[in-house]
Amino acid sequence: MTVDTPHDEFEPTLKPLWLRAQAGDEAAYREALRRIATRLRGYYGRRLSSLPDDVEDLVQETLLVLHVQRGTYDPALPVSAWVLSIARHKLVDLWRRRGRREALHDSLDDLAEWRHPVAADEQPARRDLGALLQTLPAAQRSAITMIKIEGLSVAEASQRSGVSESALKVQVHRGLKRLSALVRGSP
Amino acid sequence: MKTDSLINVLATGAGPAPRAPAARRLLPAALAGLALATLVAVVLVGLVPTAMFGRAPLWIKFGYTGLLAVAAGWWAARLSRPAAPTGPAWHAVCAVVGGMALLGALALLNTPDNSRMAYLLGKSWLFCPCGVFVLSAPALACVLWAMRGLAPTRPRLAGFAAGLLAGAVGALGYSVACTEESLAFVAAWYSLGILITSLVGAALGPRVLRW
Repeated sequence: MTVDTPHDEFEPTLKPLWLRAQAGDEAAYREALRRIATRLRGYYGRRLSSLPDDVEDLVQETLLVLHVQRGTYDPALPVSAWVLSIARHKLVDLWRRRGRREALHDSLDDLAEWRHPVAADEQPARRDLGALLQTLPAAQRSAITMIKIEGLSVAEASQRSGVSESALKVQVHRGLKRLSALVRGSP
Repeated sequence: MKTDSLINVLATGAGPAPRAPAARRLLPAALAGLALATLVAVVLVGLVPTAMFGRAPLWIKFGYTGLLAVAAGWWAARLSRPAAPTGPAWHAVCAVVGGMALLGALALLNTPDNSRMAYLLGKSWLFCPCGVFVLSAPALACVLWAMRGLAPTRPRLAGFAAGLLAGAVGALGYSVACTEESLAFVAAWYSLGILITSLVGAALGPRVLRW
C-alpha cells in the first residue's frame, strides 16, 4: 500500500497534528479529523461508485472507529498507513455485509492516492447518529451529551451529575464504542 | 448528523489517547485464562508431587509455556494494531518453539535407542494435547473477547495468535498437574495442544473478530 509519496502533502501535514492530538490537543485533533474525513471521502467515493449513498455513512463510521481505536496507533508508523488500513478494513466489511465480494478487485489500488481523480463533496449521511445516540443506555448517553456535545469539562460534568470523573470517562468511552458497533449494524 | 458535527463531538473533551490499549486488554484476559486453567488443572488432576519442583523438567515447562505466552501475547498485540509490523513478534514465537524443539530433539538423541519411543510418548501422550486444549478454552474465550475490543485487520491470523496465547497459557496451567518429565514429550505434545488451540482460534477469528 503506497500511502507516502513525495507529491502527497497528506502525511507530512497530518502527522504533527495527529501527534499533538494524541497528546490531548483538541484543536489539533479536530483539524486532523477534518483532513482525514476529506481523504476518506475521496477513498470511499472512488471505491463505492456503485453505492454513492453509502460513502458519507462509511466516512462517519470510520471516524468513530478511528476515535475509539486511536490508542492502537503506533507513533513509529505513518498516520496515513494506520488510517487507510482501518479504512480498507471497513470497506471490506461493508462489501461483505452487502455480499459483494467481487467489487474488491479494484484497479485504483495500484495508483498512488494523489493521482486519483478529485473526490466529490460531502453528500448527506442517511444514518442519523443523533437518533442512534438516543438508543444508548442512559448513563452513557448523558455522559456523552454533557462532555462531548455540551462541551462541559469532566470536572463540571461530574459536579452536575454526581458521577465520579473516572466513571464519566469510562461511560463516554463505552458509549462511543457502543455507538460505533450500532452504526455498523444499522443500514 | 453532518460529518463536521460528528468531528466536533469526537474532538470535544477527547483528552489524550489511551495508552497501550492492546496490553491493557490482552494482559488481564491472559491472566484470567491462566488462573482458570491452573485452577481446573489442580482441581481435576491435582498438583504434581512436590519433589518435581526440585528438578529441571518442570521449570523447563514453565519456561517454555511462559516465554511462548509472552511472545504470542506480543504478536497478538501487534496484530491488534492496524498497519503495525508483526515480523519481530512472529520471529520471537518461532524462536521459542524452535528452542523447545531443539531441547526435545537433543534429549531424545541422548536417550538409548530402545527407550526412545517410551521417552517421546510418556504415559499420557494422547491425553496431554486434549488436556492442554480443554484448559486453554476459557483463555481463548477471554483473549478473543479482549481482541474484539481492539482493531485486528487480519482476523484469521489474529485469531491464530489469540489461540497461540491461549494455548500457551493453558499449557502453563496444565504443567502444574502433569507428571511427565521428558523434554521430548513437552516439545511434541504440549506444542500439539497449543497448535490445536491456535487452529481453533484461526477458525473462530473471521467470525468473532468483526468490527
